[in-house]
Amino acid sequence: MRHTYSGGMRARYQSGPRRERSSFKHLGHLRNLVPYLKRYGWLFALAIVGLVVHRIGLAFVPDFTGTVIDSLADPNIPPNYFWPAMGIFAVVVVQFIIFVPVRRLLRRIAISVTYDLRKRLFNNIQYQGPAFFNKYNTGDLMSRAVNDVSQVRMFVSFGLVQITTFLITLAIVPPMMFRYSTGLALATLLPLPFVVITGFIITRKIYPYFMERQEAMAQVTSFTQENLTGIRTIQAMAQESQEIKRFRQTATHYTKKAYRASRFLAYMHLTMTTLTAISPLIVLSFGSYLVLQGHIDVGTLPRFLGWLLLLAGSVAHIGWALSLFFSAAAGSERIFQIISHQPEVQDKANLATKGDLKPSIEIKGLSYTYPEATEPAIKDIEVHIKAGHTVAFLGRMASGKSTILKAVVRLVDTPRNTIFVGGQDICDLPIQQLRQEIALVPQYAFLFSASVKENVSYDDTTREDEVVWDATEAASMEETVADLAEGLRTVVGERGVTLSGGQKQRSTLARGLIRDSNVLLLDDVFSSVDTETEERIIRGLNRLRADKTTILISHRVSTARHADYIYVFDDGKVIESGTHGELVTRGGHYADLEAVQSNQDRDQSRRARLIRKLQEVVQPTQVDSEQQKYAG
Amino acid sequence: MAEASTQHPDRADSKYSAFDQHLTHRAVNVRMFARLLRWTKPYRLTLGASFVLLVVGALIAVAIPLLLGRVIVDEILAPQPEVSQYVLPDFGLIAITHWLANLLNSDLLLAAIILYVGMVLTQSFTNLAQSLTLTSGALKTLRDLRVDLFASLERKPSSFYDHVAVGRVMTRVTNDIENLYNLITSFIQIVADFVPFFIIIWVMFDMSVDLTLVGLGIIPIAVVATVIFRLIITKFFRLIRDSVSSLNQYLQEDLMGIEVVQLSGRQEQNIEEYTAYNRENRKHEFSAIDYEVLFENLNTSLPSIATALIIWYGGGEVVQGSISIGVLFTFTYFVNMLITPISGVGQFFNTLFRSMASGERIFQALDWEEQLHEPEHPVELPERLRGEVQFRNVNFTYKKGNKVLDDVSFHIKPGEKLAIVGPTGSGKSTIIRLLARFYDIEDDTVFVDGIDVNSISSKDLRQRIGVVLQDFHIFSGTVYDNISLNNPDISKERVEWAARVVNADQYIHKLPNGYDTELAERGHNLSQGQQQLLAFARVLAANPEILVLDEATSSIDTGTELIIQDGLKKLTEGRTSIIIAHRLQTIQECDRILVLHRGRVCEIGTHEELIAQKGIYFTLHELQFQDVDKADAFATPEDLKQRSDRSRWLHQDDTDDLIGGLSGRD
Repeated sequence: MRHTYSGGMRARYQSGPRRERSSFKHLGHLRNLVPYLKRYGWLFALAIVGLVVHRIGLAFVPDFTGTVIDSLADPNIPPNYFWPAMGIFAVVVVQFIIFVPVRRLLRRIAISVTYDLRKRLFNNIQYQGPAFFNKYNTGDLMSRAVNDVSQVRMFVSFGLVQITTFLITLAIVPPMMFRYSTGLALATLLPLPFVVITGFIITRKIYPYFMERQEAMAQVTSFTQENLTGIRTIQAMAQESQEIKRFRQTATHYTKKAYRASRFLAYMHLTMTTLTAISPLIVLSFGSYLVLQGHIDVGTLPRFLGWLLLLAGSVAHIGWALSLFFSAAAGSERIFQIISHQPEVQDKANLATKGDLKPSIEIKGLSYTYPEATEPAIKDIEVHIKAGHTVAFLGRMASGKSTILKAVVRLVDTPRNTIFVGGQDICDLPIQQLRQEIALVPQYAFLFSASVKENVSYDDTTREDEVVWDATEAASMEETVADLAEGLRTVVGERGVTLSGGQKQRSTLARGLIRDSNVLLLDDVFSSVDTETEERIIRGLNRLRADKTTILISHRVSTARHADYIYVFDDGKVIESGTHGELVTRGGHYADLEAVQSNQDRDQSRRARLIRKLQEVVQPTQVDSEQQKYAG
Repeated sequence: MAEASTQHPDRADSKYSAFDQHLTHRAVNVRMFARLLRWTKPYRLTLGASFVLLVVGALIAVAIPLLLGRVIVDEILAPQPEVSQYVLPDFGLIAITHWLANLLNSDLLLAAIILYVGMVLTQSFTNLAQSLTLTSGALKTLRDLRVDLFASLERKPSSFYDHVAVGRVMTRVTNDIENLYNLITSFIQIVADFVPFFIIIWVMFDMSVDLTLVGLGIIPIAVVATVIFRLIITKFFRLIRDSVSSLNQYLQEDLMGIEVVQLSGRQEQNIEEYTAYNRENRKHEFSAIDYEVLFENLNTSLPSIATALIIWYGGGEVVQGSISIGVLFTFTYFVNMLITPISGVGQFFNTLFRSMASGERIFQALDWEEQLHEPEHPVELPERLRGEVQFRNVNFTYKKGNKVLDDVSFHIKPGEKLAIVGPTGSGKSTIIRLLARFYDIEDDTVFVDGIDVNSISSKDLRQRIGVVLQDFHIFSGTVYDNISLNNPDISKERVEWAARVVNADQYIHKLPNGYDTELAERGHNLSQGQQQLLAFARVLAANPEILVLDEATSSIDTGTELIIQDGLKKLTEGRTSIIIAHRLQTIQECDRILVLHRGRVCEIGTHEELIAQKGIYFTLHELQFQDVDKADAFATPEDLKQRSDRSRWLHQDDTDDLIGGLSGRD
């Protein structure tokens, strides 16, 4: 999203809303809301009945006033002011009895719809894969869950009510007018169709303004979220002022978009109110003429004026109400983009859990290209892992090691007939079962703002403390945890005690170990752990997981040497495989690594060979001369 | 998240995280509001213009019914002999109409209609201009407040972010600021609503004191209702804001750890936990709505109640002959205008209470005292630092926890390369954090070039000390943006140079758009090692005088590391460097090694000295290079020198030649 503020934003400022300029079809996005509103169907009906009663009550107020004036003006009629006054009081009371519950009901429905939408959003996000998260970033999703959802809420709370009110008023007031004077009623209502038509013409253009406002808000959210998440990096590089400047741009961008949307509404309001202002003139001029001609009573004038106020009020509001429709349509589009996004990795229909899977893994001719990548991350991989074996993956960065592990637990979606666990194609296993059988500890050590216990026992929070202690011990974390102020109950992560990189890594390792799964995949989980500790952990692992399958990714030969079998990767392909002994004797890449890592520098030919091999892919550079330029 | 499972959110109103917990809830609304108005200062002209326009519009709004009633009806359509005791003032409208009729040489009715149309149009355009200026002023005010809030967060110290969740602070920057919009706009609205109020009240008092008092009789009702409403509602509005904050935080963390969530099969449970927060939010919204609707309805009923009162009382007066029908008629028309501002005040208070829950949270963040101690008169650093670093008896403890550094002292000579090794959690990273002034430390404990770091501004210091953090962050944006961190002083050439030094160049060229490739949030579309290289290049591009590498190559394979090491060698020559690493191979090039254990300096010296000591370093070394024949366990200084000479291959244009030469030599 970031680039949109720097480059894309400028272009957009000038060209105005970039979507189709006018259409009502955007309102179609509201159709998505129907199922959410439907469940409150009969409550809506009730609310509408309430609104009708309320509106009729209000329409009687001018009538009461008119009656009083008539009775006082005409000496032939006894003065009648007490009962009309009581009538108005009664209307107020009825309002409280009927309209309060109706409003309450409608707003509660709006809140419930908000609740349902958020729930669905969160629900759907939980099952999405990498393609989704590359497309929508955290801040953007948060903005949808809060800001866009609240647009929908405004629409249900006010938009629907206003439109309903308008329609009811339109149904009630004219008949009442016609009862008193057909001519005056016709004259009064004459401008009305023009107002409504103009309103509709204008609102057709409103959608892009709202969409862009919502998108700009999402940019503010994303920027804030990312920046605060990476605040330490920003601060370490002393880039705060720069970032504040950039935030100001983003905030200003939003301000502009919000202003444009409001300006549009203001123009609309101008047109609508100016057109409605014609009616009172007609009532008074034509009305007075009719009074003088004796066609109507004096009291009819205040009646008509009062009704006009009711009508004009809802006409003036109809612009606002329509704008709520469109902003909710924009919100709804953004919400349902997420809700309707099908997770890329899904269970086939009617999958049953398979019993007794042998913890063996076979990968046959697996290739995979990430969405939006140009080159495949892995090419034609053949890997065979026997049940109970410990296998090490070594290789240069981005050589496809992590991708394979992710493919095995279906974090990325691979074709059928490429990966088999215990002889079963993983596409035929329910994802839930697959991930239960196979525990992957990802490379990035992520801790939640939660206690050590919940972080370690994340998959099942009901485990006993002893079990958690055992896992921390296996991950060589027990001393660290025991030293924490509240032991297992100590909150770590974002708003807890700061753990060192190695401690975080071992916590996530414990999270994988506690599951005691038949297959354990460790993605370079020792990179921040010191060698001594690593040795201890691996020795423990060999004992604990003697008859279980383990795959570990490492850069260290000292780690890999413990494995039963080793695969060496480069550029998405397996380049060597064998046992430690075999590979060392073979004298290939692994042997070079081993030599360099164990400091056998005297064997210069190996080092040189290793470097030369690496060098083949490195472009010739002029690091030296440039260095003098910059290092100064 | 922790609490959510053990303690159901529904049952614990007060279990909000740090920061939200610190909200005092002792909001003095008026003072807070006054404070908010300070941000309007640059836009007072705009907002003032908006206010004037609003008043003009309001005056026209009063004049229009007078024109209709007094001029069109009384003067033109139904000229009547004076019957009633009271004649409504026409504020010169009759005279103006006559003047206009003379001017246009038309009849009076046409003049009046022209006048009416003119007034309506003026009113419409005044309203338009008013609403545009108001929107613009309010939006810009909030933009500034938002930027100020962001700036204040940007400068909060590390210790703040140790205990405050990002989701919570960001809610303040986004939603809480939005909530203030209605407050500013309705404030201006309400002030202007009182203009017709005072005109009308004057006219009404002039017409009939009794009736006016009857009409105003409902004001006490409104006041009492508002006071009661405030007492009840404030609590709910706060609970709503808190629960939105919880929702945001939960969602944010869940998204950050989504991979773990899915791998652990925790989706269902997380949905439940999120739903619990969601339900809590709904509960408070429901409660607030119940009272709000009641209060709103009372406010909107006020005009009807006043009308009823006036008809009731005024009807009697007409019968007794103390007022005319016309007065009663006008009163029923005016009473709406009279009551609108009063019910408007009620609505305004509703908005005020709602917004103040947000205002409170914004100002709390602005006022949060946790700041890094900055010197009042920071020492001017020389053009180029020599790069001497000294720690003198440094002790350090994080907020929650045990002593991390215990009497740590060491001295790095200018241009020296120091390695820090030690088990995880021994305090290595803490040393770096203190050197880069992420935390406050006692005076006279840490020195750079002999200057106490406490007397250097943290910004200056961090520009001179480049730290490759262990928990670096990759932002969404292009590769360029990530290396330069959007710093305009860093050229593209420099970015590419830095990438070449760390050998990141190689994979960057393979990305779809090279350096212009968009990286996903947190570098999702790169491998961990590739991300680490970017973080490394980022620091090199900034050209710091002291280079600090905190596990900068931990996720990088040995081959790539070798290349980087060689590339770095020249770069770090004569430049003070501190290198933290677990792989001893990484620190081979260092002059001295410091062994840290449980926050204490256990050993310090050259590789040979420490090996001779047969202490911790010796053991570590043995362990890592166990395959090596003991006698040849380490290279002699001569060997090291030789090696560095040889590795010059990387800096040569014609590498093949050199490599050939290298292999030929053996």
